[in-house]
Amino acid sequence: MPRDFKEKFFLFGIAIIAVLTILPLFHIIYSVVVEGLPVLLKGGFKFLFGTLAPPGDGLGGIGPAILGTFILTFLASLIGLPIAVMTGVYAAEYPESIFGRLARVLLTIMMEFPTILVGLFVMQILVIPMGRYSAIAGALALAIVMMPYVTVYTEEALKSIPFMYREAAFGLGLTRFKVVFRVLARMAKKGIVTGMLIGMAKVAGETAPLLFTAGGANRIYFAGVDRPVGAISLLIYNLVQQPYENYHEIAWGASLVLMLIFLAIFLPLRLSLKEVKL
Amino acid sequence: MIAIETVNLCAYYGQKKVINNVNLKIPKNVVFAIMGPSGCGKSTLLRSFNRLLELNPNARVEGDVKLYGKSVYDMSPIEVRRKIGMVFQHPNPFPHMSIFDNVALGLKLNGLVKSKKELHKTVKWALRKAALWDEVKDRIHEPASALSGGQQQRLCIARTLAVKPEVLLMDEPTASLDPVAMEKIEDLINKLREEYTIVIVTHSSAQAARVSDYVAFLYLGELVEVGKTEKVFEKPKSELTKRYLMGRVG
Repeated sequence: MPRDFKEKFFLFGIAIIAVLTILPLFHIIYSVVVEGLPVLLKGGFKFLFGTLAPPGDGLGGIGPAILGTFILTFLASLIGLPIAVMTGVYAAEYPESIFGRLARVLLTIMMEFPTILVGLFVMQILVIPMGRYSAIAGALALAIVMMPYVTVYTEEALKSIPFMYREAAFGLGLTRFKVVFRVLARMAKKGIVTGMLIGMAKVAGETAPLLFTAGGANRIYFAGVDRPVGAISLLIYNLVQQPYENYHEIAWGASLVLMLIFLAIFLPLRLSLKEVKL
Repeated sequence: MIAIETVNLCAYYGQKKVINNVNLKIPKNVVFAIMGPSGCGKSTLLRSFNRLLELNPNARVEGDVKLYGKSVYDMSPIEVRRKIGMVFQHPNPFPHMSIFDNVALGLKLNGLVKSKKELHKTVKWALRKAALWDEVKDRIHEPASALSGGQQQRLCIARTLAVKPEVLLMDEPTASLDPVAMEKIEDLINKLREEYTIVIVTHSSAQAARVSDYVAFLYLGELVEVGKTEKVFEKPKSELTKRYLMGRVG
């Protein structure tokens, strides 16, 4: 075989494999849009704001679940982001300390940790003592899932700042606290914010950590942080298991809404991902 | 009057000794050049004066550095670095800040000004002092990264002067600049010498000859020779200095 042909053949093979890997992504987007869009159009505004229809009786709405997803993501961010950013700063500033090294190892494990076990853990420490599912339990589980991403992004963003800027800031006689929070963290702002948004996008679609914690609520809107709350992912999971035709339709519509929320966080993020010019 | 004095100063990176028993006396309000080939420990020596060496967890210092007779190791590093300002080899204004904010940063965060008016006045003063004001007065709120390399370096000098240091350390301030920009910085050093004690590190003996009153020759971490600049250049005592000045070492 001539060498030229072999090379082209090989390139072609790689291209095919590359297409095969990303094909599922496009197929997911395609099928969610094809199945979900008619539901969304048929249900209209009521689908976004109404409550769940009875079995076999129309589309109703997924309002409580959408609101629940926002509430859960917001509460999880409230709990998770400050701790995660502080941990990231600590790990970047004191990489040699015992806690710094421990944090790095534990975070890598936490990132890959089965999220359903996080749900079980929170059930143990919150749901059982409280005697019921609650928004706060769901949010705590999501916060635990979210934190390692935010921490690692924060740490990496701070560590990628060239040493000369650190020297410049310390050289002005600034305290370590001011160097880190008033100079370096602002320089690394983009990376840190990216980490926060990735963490939020990730937990907005999580299901497993919510199974034993949030409880789900599809016919009433938010009733308090200590009460059960719905989530889109949880709703889809529950509806698909029902034998009713209209529930399957609602599940597709909900899938499209979830995907749109995810893309709304994720796409601007990816597109604006240009670092500070150094 | 002696501004900076080192007493049996040694510095280590891990086990490796990079500064060996250096004893220097740097008089007040002079330009003092530390010259020597790359890797001889000049930058390390300079960073031991303002305790910036401590940012490197592997670095360790023995002996003493005195600022007007008082050991810098008895002061807080914050205080030392405010009194001994530093300009670096690569112009490093903070790229996410404007020209104004770069100079204002140290003033604001160190609480050195009481009012907005005073802040503006001091920033303007510092930019004037660094011979940059005329070039940037119309675009003071533009990002610092828009300036040329030489302007960025003068901005760094302004940033350092703004916090009113007594001593100015310059670590190869022109090494990454073109000849025109270099000349401007050297002119500036000439103007600043009346009010500040300037310690400049350079690998270029020609630069040391142009700008300094005193010069020290550092080789492999040891102080080979120190004295008035004309004396060292005209009649070096050490054979090694002679060979360095003739371009045979380094």
